[in-house]
Amino acid sequence: MDHLSRKYEDKNRDHVLKIFLLGLSTIIIAIFALGQGSSVNLDMLTVAKILLQIEEGNEIQRLILWEYRVPRVVFAIIAGTGLAVAGALMQGALGNPLVSPLTLGVASGAALGAALAIFLDLTFVSELLSILWTGLTAIIPIVPVISFVGSDLVLNAFFFALFVVYIIIKLGSVRGVTAESYILVGIAITFIAGAIVQTMVYFATAEELSQLTHWSFGSLARVDSREVWIIGGAVIILIPKALEWSWDLNSLSIGGDEFAISTGVDPVATRKKILILSSLLTALIIAFTGMIGFVGLAAPHMSRLIIGNDYRKLIPCSAIFGALLMLIADTIGRTVIAPVVLPVGLMLSVVGGPLFIYLLLTNRGHH
Amino acid sequence: MSELMKVEGLRFSWGDNLVIDSVDFAVKENELISILGKNGAGKSTLLKCLNKILSPSQGKILIHGEDVTELDILTTSKKMSYVPQSITSNFSMDVFDVVLLGRRPYINWSVGENDRNIVSKTIDRMGLSSFAFRRFDRLSGGEKQRVIIAKAVAQDPDLFLFDEPTSDLDLKNQIEVMKELRKIVSEENGKAAVIAIHDINIASRFSDRIILLHEGEIISNGKPSDVLTPENIELVFEVTSRQVMGEDGILRIVINDEITREK
Repeated sequence: MDHLSRKYEDKNRDHVLKIFLLGLSTIIIAIFALGQGSSVNLDMLTVAKILLQIEEGNEIQRLILWEYRVPRVVFAIIAGTGLAVAGALMQGALGNPLVSPLTLGVASGAALGAALAIFLDLTFVSELLSILWTGLTAIIPIVPVISFVGSDLVLNAFFFALFVVYIIIKLGSVRGVTAESYILVGIAITFIAGAIVQTMVYFATAEELSQLTHWSFGSLARVDSREVWIIGGAVIILIPKALEWSWDLNSLSIGGDEFAISTGVDPVATRKKILILSSLLTALIIAFTGMIGFVGLAAPHMSRLIIGNDYRKLIPCSAIFGALLMLIADTIGRTVIAPVVLPVGLMLSVVGGPLFIYLLLTNRGHH
Repeated sequence: MSELMKVEGLRFSWGDNLVIDSVDFAVKENELISILGKNGAGKSTLLKCLNKILSPSQGKILIHGEDVTELDILTTSKKMSYVPQSITSNFSMDVFDVVLLGRRPYINWSVGENDRNIVSKTIDRMGLSSFAFRRFDRLSGGEKQRVIIAKAVAQDPDLFLFDEPTSDLDLKNQIEVMKELRKIVSEENGKAAVIAIHDINIASRFSDRIILLHEGEIISNGKPSDVLTPENIELVFEVTSRQVMGEDGILRIVINDEITREK
């Protein structure tokens, strides 16, 4: 092997090692997080033993661990992973480092859905589904097993987020659509949805206001364990798809449209499929969590600082960073003034923000 | 020499503005062709039409007898590579990784030994070894230009389409890059290059043929000494000139320092 090839291989090995270590710390912090909470604190060894069923633990310990903390920690990992990957994909597809999963207006759509459910009691999504399900259960007996995921609020939020995804899909077929068009349309959607929500807020009661404010905080508390596995399954299916498109993203994000074409990548089609996938990921998570944007901006950038911009490594690294940030923020939120649980969205910005600024300032020009 | 590309009746317009009008020419294997013309003559547009970045409104482009509109984008990228003057982006990579993007049409996911070796050899050949692991966005304009040329070389297409490949280079690098391109085109089987360029002396020294483009039409197409006549140069560039044959057998065009026509 010549010396350039060797250097290239060394660099890659170094990056893979860093990703591996980051993954390992995430697992350790996850085990630690499982032991922490407002009621029962367990040390990491006990948690590990109960999880691996080496030790039985008492009934309360098992109940708290399996019923409450495992779903919550797993959901923190899933939500962090999904939003971070969505952010990394959107930044690359749009060639813009300022983009986050909130940019395209998917989250604003979700907020509008939630607001409609709260203020106007417009929950036609769940009503429609319930009619559908009643019909379906008559035909296929297995349907009740997966029926009724999510509350009315979540379903509405998800439906309206999907509507924005649909707008993105339609936009992708418009002739001459550029990266800027997506961003501008996203901003417009954000303004429109925001104005409608504000109009409802203007007429709202105090209780309704508090409900919406709670939704918008960004929280991991709204999911039950069954929903966690369903969202997790979807995220696990979507992310490998994104990995397949790594080279297309590399070419597009480094060289722009003409350069991408010269390397055999169709920029318009690539942008379209990547934005559809990443906005779907966002919709799936934001509908349940509420507004969490920061992790989708910060995790990809932290990864870029460490391993550079090759999407084959950037996607897994962002995924892990996202999970890590979310876990740390949620664990602090659950413990810092226990038994009060602070919403993870707030903690992410408060804890992650300064860390992000510090990393950006100290690593300028390196990776 | 067999024919690599044939262009027939090519027309392109931006809205009502006709940029290229009934352009016909052919590119033979092992041929280096320069396209000359003043700013806005349609040089870059022509190159972009050839590589399907722009879709012409009329005409036919055949590569090895196949209509390029029938080829998918991946197949096209294995047959020809367009090299822009420069690329700007918010994201960057090491030089090695940028050159590696030239292998993108051949790479599925992981980088094989063959692709890595090709990149490594190309970097060496194009004189980029000393900054192979520096970030692309930290390079000078000339260094960047050499890197994206190297990316095209690593891509190993039959036809190179260069848009002003020497615009950011100093004198020494202009000659070196052109020599290397000349060598690739002459020595490697079945390759050719079409280069949009402003420097008529670089063009005449390294090209087999020169196409003179004026207001979207080809007004002359042939050997450098036949095309770069004082009459043609005055018509296109509005300056007077003379041809001087040096003792080294290299044709030089000397531009007289006056503008012949008042606008």
